[in-house]
Amino acid sequence: MRSLAAIGVFALLIALVPAMVDSGYLLNAIIMTLYAALLGQAWNILGGFGGLFSFGHAVFFGTGAYAMAVLQVNFGWNAWVALPAAMVLGGAVGGFIGALSFRYGLRGSYFALVTLAFAEVFRVLANTFQFTGAGVGLMVPLKESALNMQFGKTGFLYLILSFLIAAQLVAWWIRHSRFGAWLQAVRDNEESASALGVDVFRVKMLAIVMAGMLMACGGAFYVQYLHYIDPHLAFGASVSVQALMAAIVGGIGSVWGPLVGAAALQLLGELTRNLMGDAPGINLIVYGVVLVLMVNFMPRGIVGLATRWKR
Amino acid sequence: MSANRSRRKFLKQSTSMTAAAAASTALGTLGFPSIVSAQSGPIKIGIVHPVTGALSYSGQLSRLGAQIAVSEINEAGGIKSLGGAKIDAVWSDAQSQPQIGVAEVEKMNEAGVSAILGGYASAICLATTQAAAKYNIPYVVDVGVADQIVERGLKNTFRFAPGYSIVSREGIKYLHILNTVAGKPAKTVVIVHEESLFGTGTANLLARDLPGMGYEVKEVIKHANPTRDFSNIVLRLKAINPDIVIPANYYDEYVLLVRTMRQQGFSPKAIYSVLGGGASSFKFVKQFPDVANGIMDCNHWYNAKDKRAIALRKKVEAMKDQFFTYEVFLNYQCVYLLADAIERAKSRDRAAITDALANSTWDKHFMPYGPTKFVNGQNIGAMPAVLQVQKGDIRVVLPNTLAEVEPVFPWKA
Repeated sequence: MRSLAAIGVFALLIALVPAMVDSGYLLNAIIMTLYAALLGQAWNILGGFGGLFSFGHAVFFGTGAYAMAVLQVNFGWNAWVALPAAMVLGGAVGGFIGALSFRYGLRGSYFALVTLAFAEVFRVLANTFQFTGAGVGLMVPLKESALNMQFGKTGFLYLILSFLIAAQLVAWWIRHSRFGAWLQAVRDNEESASALGVDVFRVKMLAIVMAGMLMACGGAFYVQYLHYIDPHLAFGASVSVQALMAAIVGGIGSVWGPLVGAAALQLLGELTRNLMGDAPGINLIVYGVVLVLMVNFMPRGIVGLATRWKR
Repeated sequence: MSANRSRRKFLKQSTSMTAAAAASTALGTLGFPSIVSAQSGPIKIGIVHPVTGALSYSGQLSRLGAQIAVSEINEAGGIKSLGGAKIDAVWSDAQSQPQIGVAEVEKMNEAGVSAILGGYASAICLATTQAAAKYNIPYVVDVGVADQIVERGLKNTFRFAPGYSIVSREGIKYLHILNTVAGKPAKTVVIVHEESLFGTGTANLLARDLPGMGYEVKEVIKHANPTRDFSNIVLRLKAINPDIVIPANYYDEYVLLVRTMRQQGFSPKAIYSVLGGGASSFKFVKQFPDVANGIMDCNHWYNAKDKRAIALRKKVEAMKDQFFTYEVFLNYQCVYLLADAIERAKSRDRAAITDALANSTWDKHFMPYGPTKFVNGQNIGAMPAVLQVQKGDIRVVLPNTLAEVEPVFPWKA
């Protein structure tokens, strides 16, 4: 219950930020941190709790982003109606990939490669079909109003905060529920879990559908925030890497890991960009080196390190 | 006791002061600047480009053009109407990602910039112009050709160069003129394009409009970015044997495509690009002079007869490993356009500069545009030119008012 209260306190603290912070730059940095944490949590549910490492989470992100854009631009749907549809589609794609992969017992690097391949297939499809704008991409018309889910910085902060809190609650539920215990049992030893009566296929399917829905939520947010999506932005490898980096740096399999990881990465990114902005590229080198060191010396992430110190 | 209490009080106060100072230093280091709106001293201009990442080559050339202009303006005495205020450029890197571009705009806003310039790629421009609009920061788009950049009703956005539909329309018109004057030797076309916004958009427009002018578009071939082997595509081209090949791709792919065509001995009557072809790249001409000869491109180009353009070209070419590309001269000119607006606005105020840009009739540039006139943010006089590589140099062949030499069409391989 203490961790549930912590989620509440965190939500409250972030909700108070606009009242205390006037800086658009800081608000944008916080929004991007929460957004990265959402992607990280979506990865963590499958990769952290379920041990199913995915290299292609962009497939869910892109599905959500394109669903949001296509439904608004081509079909005239309202963004608030398009959002649940985008999430359902993200979940459905998760279910589809899960059914194909888990039915044939794919795991480890084979599963990772299948997700990577699906992301690439979806990128090619988005590049080909006219209804997705093909290579040109899709642009959501600029109509700033809460009715269109287009806000100022404060509104977007609350929107992404609510998405992230939902993701945190899902992670908390997984951590404390019977389903979570099954999922972690499947992660630790699939055969033993199966022998103990856990429906391995069903558990994995539920995890990938939840991950797909949350990731699609991230994609939908991206479209509303930047109003443009193209195949590379939606299904490119950088989205998948962003999701898994937040979880890995923060600590996989923990409720707070992705958020801590996203905050650390955002801070590192801002720090290197602002300190070395005049020498282009140096910031990225420093960022990369620090990342390698972090992953090398903190295999359980920042949260893991903190737990070890506490002991 | 009292001494103890006062020492404790002192320690407590000094600790909190130290903590506050450390926090403020840390925030400063992190680049969380407080809003600065200087009313005297240099005038801050934000200049954003994709200096790293996938678009770094173009981004760095764009920055170079802006750097030259800023230092020239400052050396010439700065903005006269503001008492000789120097331009203080806030250089920024969008890392080839729209969301980083937005973060940079936020940072520039808080640094107190009076205007922003750049973007380069359409996706970045779409995001950054919109972010700047929230703070009413005037924004001069340097390249970003997507038509939508100036079609969203943003009052702060101004594009000096022509957009996509203008260049494509003119490109098709000029191709038809070339072919008609030559007695219509070309009847069939194949378009080879890269898969993103630029290549696909160009291919769509060409495939839509060319049939209406009597050309048969035999095939539209799309390729991925990057593509490192064009053998199969060129074999396909040889099988179709079109009169004209229209490539719409980025530099690396363009080079590989044209070189493979030459290697396989396939020489159509013309290789004609709309935006992005090698015929507008001195780098390509220098590196592959035999392959480059005869290729054509409808692209952003300067008035090659203008002495200022010739001087700038010499200046850039005197620099080590630098080439005089459209990124360089468009950014150079955009900085001058903005400086002119600030000069006339006689103010650092964003709204005043936006008004000055909206009413701009600037004609002291070396582009073939005439005085600037912005309608919905687009400079409606902006036009491209047709270039052809002849005798190892890039020469303007159309329109006639700018032409340096006669076009050679069809090209004899």
